[in-house]
Amino acid sequence: MTSEKRDLAPPTVEPLPPCAATCPAHTDVRGYVQAIARGDFEEAYRIAREPNPIPYICGKVCAHPCEDQCRRKDVDEPIAICALKRFATEKHDPRLGHAPRLTQAEPREEKVAIVGSGPGGLTAAHDLARMGYKVTVFEAYPRLGGTMQVGIPLYRLPRETIDLEIAPLKELGIEFVTNVRIADVDGLLSDGYRSVFIAVGSHVGAKLRLPNAELPDVWLNTEFLRRVALGEKIDLSHRNVLVLGGGNVAIDVARTAVRLGAAQVSMSFLESDETMPAHPWEIEEAKEEGILMYPSRTFKECVLDEGKLAGVKCIKVDFRGFKPDGALDIDEFVDTEHILAADLIIFSIGQGPDLSFLPKDGSIAQTKRRAIQVDPVTLATTKPGVFAGGDAVTRVGFIIDAVAAGHRAARSIDAYLRGVDPRTVQPDESEKLGAIQEKTISHIRKLEREPLPKTDAATRRATFDEVEHGYTETQAVRAALRCLTCGAGATVDTDKCIACLTCVRVCPFEVPGLERGTANVPVEQCQACGLCATECPAKAITMKLYSDDDMIQDIKRAIKRAKSDSEPAIVGFACRYCAYSGEEPKVVQARFPKNVKVIDVLCSGKVDSLYLLKAFEYGADAVFVAGCIVGECHNDKGNVHAGQRVAYVKKILDELGLNGARLEMFNTAPGECTSVVEDVIRLAAKVKELGSSPVPYPSRAGRSN
Amino acid sequence: MIKAKQKPIAEIKTLIAPYRNILILGCGTCVTISFAGGEKEVGMLASSLRIAAAMDKNAQLFTEATVQRQCEWEFIDAIADQIQKADAVISLACGIGVQALAERYPDKVILPGVNTTFLGMAIEHGVMVERCRACGDCILGLTGGVCPIARCAKNLLNGPCGGSQRGKCEVNPETDCAWQLIYDRLGKLGQLDRLSSLMTYKDWSKDYDGGPRKIVREDLKL
Repeated sequence: MTSEKRDLAPPTVEPLPPCAATCPAHTDVRGYVQAIARGDFEEAYRIAREPNPIPYICGKVCAHPCEDQCRRKDVDEPIAICALKRFATEKHDPRLGHAPRLTQAEPREEKVAIVGSGPGGLTAAHDLARMGYKVTVFEAYPRLGGTMQVGIPLYRLPRETIDLEIAPLKELGIEFVTNVRIADVDGLLSDGYRSVFIAVGSHVGAKLRLPNAELPDVWLNTEFLRRVALGEKIDLSHRNVLVLGGGNVAIDVARTAVRLGAAQVSMSFLESDETMPAHPWEIEEAKEEGILMYPSRTFKECVLDEGKLAGVKCIKVDFRGFKPDGALDIDEFVDTEHILAADLIIFSIGQGPDLSFLPKDGSIAQTKRRAIQVDPVTLATTKPGVFAGGDAVTRVGFIIDAVAAGHRAARSIDAYLRGVDPRTVQPDESEKLGAIQEKTISHIRKLEREPLPKTDAATRRATFDEVEHGYTETQAVRAALRCLTCGAGATVDTDKCIACLTCVRVCPFEVPGLERGTANVPVEQCQACGLCATECPAKAITMKLYSDDDMIQDIKRAIKRAKSDSEPAIVGFACRYCAYSGEEPKVVQARFPKNVKVIDVLCSGKVDSLYLLKAFEYGADAVFVAGCIVGECHNDKGNVHAGQRVAYVKKILDELGLNGARLEMFNTAPGECTSVVEDVIRLAAKVKELGSSPVPYPSRAGRSN
Repeated sequence: MIKAKQKPIAEIKTLIAPYRNILILGCGTCVTISFAGGEKEVGMLASSLRIAAAMDKNAQLFTEATVQRQCEWEFIDAIADQIQKADAVISLACGIGVQALAERYPDKVILPGVNTTFLGMAIEHGVMVERCRACGDCILGLTGGVCPIARCAKNLLNGPCGGSQRGKCEVNPETDCAWQLIYDRLGKLGQLDRLSSLMTYKDWSKDYDGGPRKIVREDLKL
């Protein structure tokens, strides 16, 4: 309205949904989850792929910190984000390319060396190759992938998945050199590499300095996993294995030992059952596989019996974490000394990078914790032109952290090579959307999280075959429909809003309010149901993920497709929450007559009265809206509003002499998608009797607008 | 606020029949709030009339616009171009807006698309009721805040009449008897004694009977 009103409005900030803000690579999680919910699986892949050159791998083994922050956890359980990423990659047609719509710049002369082919190295190589640089990746081991290749067990990540990601990187022109352990960073620079990215990971396990810890039957986590991963046949049958440590790697070690035939595998660690650092789902799967847990213990000695390893002498403790100086904050309980029996002990108490290759002159400085020292913004080391990231810097991190570091390094290296300050090319830290208020949560429909199919524990103990399997299409769509669409809801045009209060009244989630004389839909509360936008008489509210114009284009397309036959053209708006009711939408749609074309919507409440009229204006012979039965709407009463709008527009059609019978509302009960098929067939038969709409097609409006 | 209701489409069709280029002009204030003439309703009416034109195989063309208030010269001046291009304008504003347009654009055919109905409010979403007749001489202070002019079919000053049935009006059994409401309200206020004295005649010259009314604030004139 007045410019003064606009000036008073708070500055527009676009906080990211917690999933995207938490993801180190800021993946547009909401984008791909919503695309899956809509049934647009290629778009989901494209979105998931864009910030991440290894989406297939992440879909299987990402630690998904996004899920911990997913706001649905405050309603019931988080969205199964990782599994949905996996689904998007599994649905992707590889013939469309690994990175649809990503471009590659003109070739440049500068050469860049990447040391390490883990997630950080691969990402930096990918980005720099796309920027046109000549990139060489050096890998110490015979196979590419770093930790993903030599650390992560096969039952979590089949190696074909790694190959699948690396092949397209080769097509980008990246040169990969395996079996070469770089010993001289300065040498790379003098060899013509203008910049170096060190991403050597963290491959050196650590032992406690216990008596007898140097015996041959006391192993290290990293070495053990690497030997197995690189194909060495290790037979652990009849062995009683004790893994010392309670982190995710320790779980990998224990579960690998199970698969190598160990008679018994146990884990012991400082932390309690509750504070054990491994992911809860990893712990659960380990227990299912028969691994015994001995929490709250400190270790004093590897014990021998007749010269052979017999176990570990332990004392029970109360471990409270680490003191600021790094020392353990711990109390040992008196008289609790005991021996945990084992004939093979594998330490998995942490790991660090092998930095023996760094220049001896200290020109690439290290931190006190024996990692490479970098500028946290640019990842520049203390040597000009040399950058470092991933576990070589952080000692321990997730794959997706390394991916983010790879992007950061690529931006810095590009800036460095173009003579720009690398500090100026890094994106600002994004803000995270706040929590959902209690009263809104109370209106959000609870929906059970779709469990990921898994091989049963008994079968998987004997094989390195993958434990987890992907969702079916039906499961994935159901899992995606749980997304709260955080941050992509309604936006109020304060110039148009006249504070009529319609939005305040119709919102099922008690979100909108008035502020400075206009409606305000707080972005962190809006559930994107769309009711306010469809009901607003001033057209002051728009939705971030779709517009009236998009919908009208969809309507025109649907009519065109439906008209290709001589039969009357029927256009439907179907709520994806219920109209298909557990069946795959395309299966249900295949049962509709050919002259019926459906536009999917996330809640029938999003179907504006105007869309119904527009469909007739553009030449549809009949229109239907399929929503849930009353009481089952995802958005409380979206379906009731839809029904009222259908009744209203039917009257208009009657007034126009077009016959309101050409417009119908169908309500489908959960699990009864057959009923919508029957309803649609009945409508088609009725319309055939009524004949074509008296509005000619293609209509004048349909052609000109 | 002014409440209005869209005219039947058949009537609008008759009104616009002689014209080819038609501007459907919404008003962004009262009629928007009464779901009769805002941008949304402009779109709905435009779509309906395009359907009608297509069915009748006539060549009418419809354009759409909405201004903040049609009852202000500045706002209607701002869309002069669009108005000039049209053969006729269907105004979805109240009668004030229609007349403002007609006065400002003397050569243009300005047609009403809504029936201006009353001054009232939404007692619930989608239900609007009359509350004021703009009689020019407010007596709400004497009647416990309930208006017998707007809400009594007979405009009684000393009601109720014999047609008050169990609190409802004989004219429409869904309508509350205003005088019953006044009685109940005064009772709650402890002012029932007001009903023992007769209200004197009302000066209807301040209503429409005195001809079109005018308010002049000399202090504000430019």
